[in-house]
Amino acid sequence: MLNLATMIVREVSHAKVNFLLSVVASAAAVGLCVALAMTSEASQRETRRVTRDLGFNLRIIPREADEFDFYNLGYSQHTMPEEFVHRMAQHENLSYEHLVATLQQRVEINGVSVILVGVAPSISGENKQPMQYEIPPGEVQIGYQVGKRLWLKRGDTFEINGVKLTVTRVAFEKGDIEDVTIQGRLSDVQQALNLPGRINEIRAIDCLCLTADKDPVRILRDELERLLPEAKVFLQSAKADARAKQRQMVEKYAAFMTPVLLVVCGALVGVLSFLNVRQRTSEIGLMRALGYGSSRIATLILGRAMLVGLLGAVVGYGLGTWLALQYGPGIFQVTGGSIRATPWLLGVAVVVTPLFTAVASAIPAVAAVAQDPAVTLRAD
Amino acid sequence: MIELDDVTRVYHGSRGTVLALEDVTLRIERGQFVTVRGPSGCGKSTLLMTIGGMLRPTRGTVRVDGVDLYACSARQRAAFRAQRIGFVFQMFHLVPYLSVLDNVVLGGRVAGADRRRASELLERLGLSHRLRHKPSELSIGERQRAAIARAMMNEPDLILADEPTGNLDPDNAKQVFEILSAYHRGGGTLVVVTHGDMADGYADRVIQMRAGRVMTEAGASVMR
Repeated sequence: MLNLATMIVREVSHAKVNFLLSVVASAAAVGLCVALAMTSEASQRETRRVTRDLGFNLRIIPREADEFDFYNLGYSQHTMPEEFVHRMAQHENLSYEHLVATLQQRVEINGVSVILVGVAPSISGENKQPMQYEIPPGEVQIGYQVGKRLWLKRGDTFEINGVKLTVTRVAFEKGDIEDVTIQGRLSDVQQALNLPGRINEIRAIDCLCLTADKDPVRILRDELERLLPEAKVFLQSAKADARAKQRQMVEKYAAFMTPVLLVVCGALVGVLSFLNVRQRTSEIGLMRALGYGSSRIATLILGRAMLVGLLGAVVGYGLGTWLALQYGPGIFQVTGGSIRATPWLLGVAVVVTPLFTAVASAIPAVAAVAQDPAVTLRAD
Repeated sequence: MIELDDVTRVYHGSRGTVLALEDVTLRIERGQFVTVRGPSGCGKSTLLMTIGGMLRPTRGTVRVDGVDLYACSARQRAAFRAQRIGFVFQMFHLVPYLSVLDNVVLGGRVAGADRRRASELLERLGLSHRLRHKPSELSIGERQRAAIARAMMNEPDLILADEPTGNLDPDNAKQVFEILSAYHRGGGTLVVVTHGDMADGYADRVIQMRAGRVMTEAGASVMR
């Protein structure tokens, strides 16, 4: 009796082109799936970064602050305890992320009016990157116009109400209020403004990502009302909308593309496996006629299919990884560099692909084995 | 050895129903060489496949050496075929990716069937120089001889040959019948379906079929 492995090897070496095409098709299907999985992850990372860079979209200020003055001045003239931000941070299930306590006021330095902003380190959730660079004590970052008007450059030192501050960065021209701003550590600014332990705004990002027909402001205000009735919140709706839309677009695109690609690739591999076995129907009939049992015939047919799937998975993983690493950084400009090979996908591919090719091959094989051998032979 | 009782086989196709065998009752004794003749589509091949346990009849019973083939499970029938019956097909049905030798070994499903026996058989059939060749590298006559070697691999009690010379020239056809005749002289039972009359000279009995029925036996009684 011939060894099954020998028969599989002989069949493969006899029908090399057919085998090669089957492997190439499987590899292409696996490669596309791997590339999609890797770039989807990159796309989500990129979206997180891009939406994060849109900045904060929630402004929490003291309840007694007048909205008209707040918008007119750019900050609240009333202050609230810094402890409020910690109270918010300790509360779970809140729709506020990346809490940053700030204190800002207009001050005059050498006859030049600037906005002095004290920024506390961001309080972000677990496994979340802080929203912004943490300014060390004694250091400040100044806006482009501030540097120009006060003749300040990196490394220069100046004082506000006896607090000595060193310029560590002069920002590029941004074309907004930041150009006339000095940003320092909250504790330094509190000291400089003689407002220890006080803040006048908490900045945050909402994590609701609601659809356009829902009202996030009501949810956010209800939450804050219960937790911090001494404060009120305003949503910068343009930023919030842009953020939500971008995230939802990426999620919807992935939710659409992933199953479509899986179905198309699965169909490609499935049809090829199916056709390959259909071509071997008379061989199945012959083996049945010679008295071979269905398990031996199934092993012969499915063994080859699994070999195709296994090789396709390994080659496809390599191909998909190469595609993602080669072209991903060009597509995802901000986070492209963080695209990495994903070895667990190889594990999934080498299990799923052979199983899939085996199942696709099993359908015509079982149909052929189930028939009388004479009928199967006559199908040739 | 072979007993068919009221065997009927109906094919249901997209173009309607075809009655391939109709109430066929037949006895073939051990060691007989029987040819089955008749026009195309008269049910000869269907009769052969039914005898060989390869095609379940719509009605009736088929016994080979007392075993009711279609009362057995598919697995038991396969085992019976492997041990007792050899098949020779008109289209040879050699596995294209196996060598001639391996194709013959493929027919070996009983203990002791090995490459040496396959080589001996092929040598006896004049194919010793073709052992490593693929079927596509053989002439039509050589392919049929290789298929006969495969059928003989298990030393079967019964060989069923479906138009074994249908694709062969007269010289090759004669050679095939000589080989089958030698098997018969060795005590084997042989049922050969054929179009022509070349086999008649070797056969003990000639059965004539028409429209799914066994009509006559040459020079003998009408079976049905």
